[in-house]
Order: sequence, then C-alpha cells, then structure tokens
Amino acid sequence: MAALEGSESGALVGRIGPRRRGWATRTAPARRDRLLTVIAERSLLIALALMFLAPVAFVVLTGFMTTAQAAGPSIWPRPFHPANFADVFSRAGLLRASGNTLLYAGLSTIGVVVSSVPVAYALSRLQWRLRGPTFLVVLATMMLPQQVTAVPLYVLFAKLHLVGTLVPLILPSFFGDAFSIFLLRQFFLTIPQDYIDAARVDGAGEWRILRQVVVPLAKPAIAAVALFSFLYAWNDFFGPLLYTGENPSAWTASVALANIRSQHHVQWNLTMAATVLFMLPVIALFFVAQKAFVQGVTLTGVKG
Amino acid sequence: MNKHSDTGSASSSGRRRRRAPGLALVASALLAAVSACSGGSGDTTASASSAPASAAADRTPVTITLWSGFTDRELGVLGAAVDQFEKTHPWITVKNVGAQDDDKIVKAIRAGNAPDAALSFTADRIGSYCGSKAWIDLGPYIARDKVDLSVIPQVSRDYTQFGGVRCALPALADTYGLYYNTKLLKGAGYDSPPKTASELLDMAVKLTSYNPDGSIKVAGFVPLWGFYEMAPAHVAPVWGATWTDGAGKSNFHDPAWTALLQWQKKFVDAIGYDKLRRFTSGAGDSEFAETNLFETGRLAMNIDGEYRTAFIHSEHPELAFGTAPFPTADTRTDLYGAGYVTGNSLGIPRTTTGRNLEAAWQLVRYLSTDPAAQTLLAQQLKNVPTLTPALSDTSLTNDARFGVFMKIYANSKSGTTPPSAAGSADQDTLSALAEKYQAGSVADLASALTAADKQVDAQVAQAAGPGGGGAP
Amino acid sequence: MIGTAMIGTAGRRRLTVLAFLSPWLVGMLVFFVYPLITTVYLAFQHYDLLSPPRWVGLANFRYMNIDANFWPAVRNTAWMILVSVPVTIIFALWVAHVLGKIRRGAGVLRTVFYLPTLAPPVAATLGFVYVFNASTGPVDRILGALGLPQPLWFDDPSWAKPSLTLLAMWGSGAIIVIFLAAFLDVPMELHEAADLDGVNGWQRMRYVTLPTVSPVILFAVVTGVIDGLQYFTQGYVAGTAAGGGDAGAGSGSSLGYPEGSTLFYPVWLYQQGFQYFAMGYASAMAVVLFVAALGVTAVLLLVSRRYVHIPGVS
Repeated sequence: MAALEGSESGALVGRIGPRRRGWATRTAPARRDRLLTVIAERSLLIALALMFLAPVAFVVLTGFMTTAQAAGPSIWPRPFHPANFADVFSRAGLLRASGNTLLYAGLSTIGVVVSSVPVAYALSRLQWRLRGPTFLVVLATMMLPQQVTAVPLYVLFAKLHLVGTLVPLILPSFFGDAFSIFLLRQFFLTIPQDYIDAARVDGAGEWRILRQVVVPLAKPAIAAVALFSFLYAWNDFFGPLLYTGENPSAWTASVALANIRSQHHVQWNLTMAATVLFMLPVIALFFVAQKAFVQGVTLTGVKG
Repeated sequence: MNKHSDTGSASSSGRRRRRAPGLALVASALLAAVSACSGGSGDTTASASSAPASAAADRTPVTITLWSGFTDRELGVLGAAVDQFEKTHPWITVKNVGAQDDDKIVKAIRAGNAPDAALSFTADRIGSYCGSKAWIDLGPYIARDKVDLSVIPQVSRDYTQFGGVRCALPALADTYGLYYNTKLLKGAGYDSPPKTASELLDMAVKLTSYNPDGSIKVAGFVPLWGFYEMAPAHVAPVWGATWTDGAGKSNFHDPAWTALLQWQKKFVDAIGYDKLRRFTSGAGDSEFAETNLFETGRLAMNIDGEYRTAFIHSEHPELAFGTAPFPTADTRTDLYGAGYVTGNSLGIPRTTTGRNLEAAWQLVRYLSTDPAAQTLLAQQLKNVPTLTPALSDTSLTNDARFGVFMKIYANSKSGTTPPSAAGSADQDTLSALAEKYQAGSVADLASALTAADKQVDAQVAQAAGPGGGGAP
Repeated sequence: MIGTAMIGTAGRRRLTVLAFLSPWLVGMLVFFVYPLITTVYLAFQHYDLLSPPRWVGLANFRYMNIDANFWPAVRNTAWMILVSVPVTIIFALWVAHVLGKIRRGAGVLRTVFYLPTLAPPVAATLGFVYVFNASTGPVDRILGALGLPQPLWFDDPSWAKPSLTLLAMWGSGAIIVIFLAAFLDVPMELHEAADLDGVNGWQRMRYVTLPTVSPVILFAVVTGVIDGLQYFTQGYVAGTAAGGGDAGAGSGSSLGYPEGSTLFYPVWLYQQGFQYFAMGYASAMAVVLFVAALGVTAVLLLVSRRYVHIPGVS
C-alpha cells in the first residue's frame, strides 16, 4: 500500500459524502481560540500543499533547462529548451521502453481481471466448506515480500530461457492476484442475493451467472481492479530490473529511466524531462478515470 | 427440458473450465520437472577444453554479437576496428552492442542470452569469470593457432588469467596519472606539477578558490574517495601498498595502506569534508560528459586515465593541460613514474557454441593480437595498446601528453589489482572503509583494517565455495 | 424445483468451485509454494546458476555474521519499518484531520495531496534526488537564503534515510485520503456525546476518533510494514542516482550510497543474488526475510487485538 510505495492499493481519492460540520461546534468563550487554531492549521495546510506541488514544479522547470544551467543552482530556465523532451526519446530509447511498459501493463491487466474474477466469485457467492480458510490464505500471500520467492523463480525462468523477456512479468498475472481477488470479493458480497437466486431458479449454471449477472453488475469494481493492475505494472521496478536488466531492448520505462544517466551520460535536465514524460500518462489516466478511483476507496479498507 | 439444456450449456462451459485444472496440473508438473534438473546439466555449453576443431575450412556466413561497455564516440571507434575485422573475415558479421557493463554480462551468461564475445571494461572480474568458468578457457585455442603471447606485456598477461586458466586476452590497457590545468597552475606561480604527496596537498590548497558564500568555486584537487577516478586502487601503486601478501591473503594491515589513508584524510580535512562534498554533489555523473569538472576548468588537478586525452580533444580542445605520473608517497620517491594499470579484457562466454564459437575466437584474437587493430583503437580511443609492437607506434609516442601514460605502462614498478575469486570484493571493501574513514566515522583505523582483511578473506572463501573453483 | 436442482449436485458444485479457483490454485503452487520450498532448499547450497548446487549445510547462515553488510542491511530496513512508517502514518493522520475540518477548497487540496501518489516510484525518487541536491537543487538554496542549515540530504549518510522518509510522506496521499474518509465516517452520535461531555480536541481524538478509525490505522500499518520489508526501488534508485560518478574501479556494483546508508535488506539480497550470483546465500537471506515477515505479522495481529476496535466486536 501506499505508505511507502504508490502500489496498486494506492489509488483512492475521497468519498463524496456528507461533510461533517458537527464537531466544530464549540462553546462561545473558546470560539476565538478555535478561530486562531483554524486559521493557523489552514495556512499550514496550504503551505504544505504548496510544498507538495513544489517538487513537481521544479522537476518540470528543470526539464526545460539547458545542460549547463541544470548543473547549477538556478530555478528558472533561461532560455527555455523544450528540445529536451524530444531529445529524450531519441537518445534514451524511451519510445521502445514505453512500448514495453504498455505491453506489460496491458497484458497483465487483462490477465489479472480474467483470472481474478472467477476466484473472487467462488470466494464470495459459492458455498463450500473451506471458503473461509482459503480466503485467509489469499490474504496471507499478500504479506509475503516478493524477494522471498525471487531467486527460485528467476532460476526457473532462466532455465526456460525466458529471462530478458517480459514473459516472467506477464505470466503470473494470469494466475490471479491476491489484492484484486480481495477487492472483487468485497464487491461481490454486496450484490443482492436475489439476483443470483433468480438466475439459479432459471437453471443457470454458476459460470453463466457469473458472466451474465455478476460481471455486468460489477463493472465499477472490475474497472477499479483493472486500473490498479495497470498502475502497478506501470510503476513496477524490481520485476523488470530483475528480468530485463541486461537486455536494453526489453526494458520497461521504469528501468530505462533508472539507467538513463549511466547509459548515455545524460545530465539532469534530460533526466528530469524523461521523468516528466514518464509521469504524464498516469496523471492523464487519473483525470480520465476518476470514477474508477473513487470506487476503489469504497472497496478497499475503509471498513477493514 | 429446460433444466437439461441449461445444465448442458453449464456443463459444457463447466467442462471447458474443468479441463483447465487438468492442463494446469500438467503444466505445473512440467515446470517442476524442468526446474528439478537444477544446475548446469540443462545448459548447452560447449566445452572448449576438448580440442577445438581445426580453424580453416568453414566459410559459411555467420553473425556474432559483441558486447562492450563503450558508448557514444568510443563505441563508434570500436565499430571501426570491428569493420576492419569484417573486411579480413568477410564471412563473419559482428553486431556491436555498447553500454553493456560487467553486471549485465554476468547476468546474461546466467540467463542464457549472453553475447558471443564480451569486452569487459576492467580486469576486476577476471577472477570470477575464470574461476566460475563463465568465460571459457582460451588455452586450447591459443595452442591450436600457435598464438604468440610474448608480444603482450607481462602486466597485462597477469590480469587476464586466474588460477592457471587464461579465460581472457587483453585489448588495450588503461594507466592512471595526474592531469593538471597549466593555466591555473601558472596563475598560482607553479611551473611544474607536484611529485610528492605533500607537494600535491600544498598545491591543491593554494589552488582552491572560493565563492563569497564560502563554497568552493575552483578546486585545486578533490581528494574524496569515490569522486571520479579517485580510488584506493588507483593510488596504491605509488604508495607501495599491495592487495595481497605472499600467501595470497588480504594485506590491508600493511603500514603502506595506513599511511595512504591517513594522508588522504589529512588532505580532506585541509580543505574541508563538508565543502568538498557540496562541491562534488552536483557533479555526480559528469565524469564522462562535457560538463566534466576538470575539462571545464573547475578542477585544477585530477587523477585520471590516459583516455581522458581523447575526451578533452573531442570535447574541450581549447583546454591547456599537462600530464604527469601521479605524485608518490613522500617516503617512496623511488616509485615516481609508476602508476596503476588495468585494462579491457576480451573473453568468450561459455554459452557460445558451434560456428559462433569459432567466429568469436577469431574476433577475440584479432582485437587482442593484431597490431593494426590495436594501433587504430589506441590512436582513436587514446588507450594504451597491449602489444609491444604497437607500443612503439610513432603516432602514439609523438603525443607528449599521451606518451606519459605509455611510459607509466612500461614502468616495471607499475601495479594492478590481482584477480581474485570474489571479483572486486576486495576493492569494494576497502573503498567502503576508506569512505567511512574520510568522513571521520572510523575511530580505530588499525582494527578496522584488520577487520577488513578478515572480511575479504571470508568473501574469497565464500565465493570459491566448497572445493573451490566456483565464484560469484 | 430449486431443491431438486441442488440435491445431487454437491459433487458437481465442488468441481465448479475447483474450476473457478483453478487459476489461483495453479498460481499458488507455481509462484508461491514451489518457490518457498526451493528457497529453503537453496539456502543450504552453494549455487551460482552455472554449476550444479553444492551442499554447504549452515555455511550460508554462518556467513551472515561475517558479511560486513548483513547487519547494516537489517538495521536499514528496520529503520524504515520502525521510523519511516510511523512518521508517515502520523503525518497522514494529521493532514487528514485538518483536511476534515475544512469546507471550502477541500476537494482541490485533497487532489493536490493525492497526485504525488501517482508518480511512479522511480520518477519520484529521481525528482527528489535532484530537488534535494546540495549544489543544483532549489531546497538548499532556499534554506541558505533563510539562514538555515543546509544538509547534504541524499549525499549524507545521516540524512539519506530521513530524505527517503520525506519522499514517503510526499507520496502518502493515498493514506491521507483513506484516513480522511474514515474520519468523516465517525458517527455523529459519538461526536455529539463527546460535545455533551465537554471534551477538548485532544481528548476527542484519543477517545472518539482514533478508536473508531483504528481498523483503518491497522490496515495502514500492516501495508506500511509489508512495504517496508520489501523496500527496494526508492533505496536502489536514490543510491545509484546520488552516487552517480563512482570511481571506475570496482564500481557498478556498489549500492547503498552514501556509506551503505541506503543498503536495505532487499537491495543487499538483490546484489548478492543477481549481481554476485551467490544464490545460495541470497536464498538464506530470503529465508530470514520470510521468518521476519511471519514474526512481524504475528506481532501486529497481537497488538491489534488490544488496540483495534472492530465495530461489533469490541
């Protein structure tokens, strides 16, 4: 989760709920103190917000600087050098790296959705004895640090001559993802039993119920899961570093960005330009898919 | 009936889904079987220790890949030499891939997608390449083609073999010396470069100028370990410090190392650790870019390799500079003229087989023993050739500033870091300790050095593994 | 008719469940069970992927005490878990608390705090390394103009991890938003009761708000700790980016700049396993990491039983 990394569970915006004005009701004598506190806190918050935005601003500005200027302490580019942004693509192979990232993110998103939906359904709307313990096992796998299994998996893929390709990254997505299963299960639990019973009365098998009743109802949740998976793949670094590190033509954008300075002895200005370019698609995605993000918060952890 | 038809469709899709687990079980069994043959038994590696086939006949076209750490301009120069090779060996096409450092080469060999031939920037990993058999033993090929190794200077022969196995051939060497900005030196009243460590310290302090806010504007010399090419390994030869003692054990407890580290700390403190860090924090990656501090006149003196002359020529030809051997310890002026020697090493990963293997050998042999190739590379990369005939090439010796480095290479007192089964672990360990010491975080240097010795010895033992031979 | 449809299909139902679970089941076997077993197996071998594994017994585990980087790596990761995670969570709680009181402009501020989460970790780390660079970045310049001390941030071993914590706080927008939603979910009745009792702000927080949102805090702590145990990307990128021009000899494999302060446990594991290819030793380290994860989870579960109030349970 996003305590330290912007991982898949991180995309949450905020509910559109009734605002709580209530607890700011105070008795009169304390009101002036309250006002001062409120003003102080609000200003602090605004200052903080500015500090949150500042790094982004500086990074963008640096992306416009010339090499010599970026090596010095100046803040405003003089002159503007927008050619950096085009330069980065040609010099740093960012185009191919972005293509690889899209391939990885796209395919793994499909894989996660296709494989996690049936599992979540079985864990929520089918009755069977080991359902509870199995769900706990699913949750338990989320607790495992990825480095614990890294060595044997690498050896396995090396023997299959798949190291240096994107396959080791994409393949596991087709076998279910614990977090997505969890999210989908939470959502499936909220589907009224009547719909499903009605379908069962009509004699539909589980697969058909899933396909024709549950999935259409679960579109928002599935969209959220797809979004999270996509983001996770986009941000992934350890996996691509491990499996494509020595093969520059298979690098994803995150690995390319991390290597950009040693590859071509690029300087800060180009590095920052590349950084901005790498962030743009995600930010655009956010603004376009806000609803799916919002759905995420009502599913994730507010109720534990 | 409704029920049956629906059941039918459900069960047909159910059947479809039910087949999936079966397939999955088979797949996982397969995977388990594949991985069960762990270790090298599954690898296709041609053992070159069996007598290689005769060279002559096969002229069917073949394409091989060469990896090197070169980039940009230098990669182009290597490409020119490779083109020459292709002309004399028209059935071989070489794909010249750059920016592939040792880490990538090591990984690729394990992953099975290694190049046919590899050119490593350094000789630091030779111990592990040879010891782990990641690179093949070139001995049989050298014997078969009767390659005369005596034209290669001894020092370069030394750092390309380990444990009696020659798994690499040298292709150009690097030597390190002192670069100095003649204009800045003259401005401070100096006509000649420093020859001893104390002179270097004094001159550096005088040559350092400051901004109004107290930060360094132009540095006389940056003694920080880890900055550009300032590393214990590069300075050790002129202080008489050796990496291993007679028995092959780590030798950090030798008084020469203590003297070196203490002198360096005195140097750092004379200018100010914090000021130096601030000065270099912005220069992190400018070493091989046009913003290099020495080339842009912000650094008066610097330790660097002979290749720097080529960079200056191409990026800042207006710079007025001189070169000289690096200043020695005050008590070891007999070592003046010597320096640190290392070089590129060419090898063939064990995953290369068949006709690629033969072609790769031809390429390796060409780049390491053909005088024309070495002269071309030496001239344009400004590296030191590793062939005695090429060493006397006038185009190289006529350049006085470059000639300094050729002399360092030929100096019998020049040294290198001995190959070890743990690769560059010894250098990494000492550098880590040195960096802590320069920051003032080490109270007892003597015991820290002894601990470092133990550490390196343990790493070598660990790398060699039970029965020896294997390596990281 | 429903009954008839159900009876006699118990067996088929079990198969259906199996079918639906199959992707995950296979995934469990191949990507979870098999690697776990193999990791334990390899921990007792000497293996470099070139030659067959050789049995070495406990040698890898004994080497952990000799390895000069092992305990520093443990300490670095422990630092992130014990310092960075709590600091980040407390920061997020505070921001959410203040945000919750605002009416106008809350939406915009919320978005501002949330946007940095979207920055990919590599990009964010590179951006921070640049912005906090002592010579070229604006932060020290501003600090200097204000007459404040200017630390070397990512170039100073005592400041490298705090700088990474700042990075984590910058990217904590997701938890801020979750906490905000949780705060707004606290039932009105509880607040009204507190008002009647005349509590002050701090008491309200302690006895009303925090207990009610304690499940969410637990969630944040658990995920924060899990991330801390596998903290890799930011440490790796910060170390290599700030370290930049290492001296040529022996470089390319020196991580943890400056002075090993960013050498986190997973980073060292990666270096051992995939740069030095001491895979037996890396597996031993992985086993230790696994045990640590189990231990930490157990501790968290025990602690949560005491402090976390799940509605309807306590």
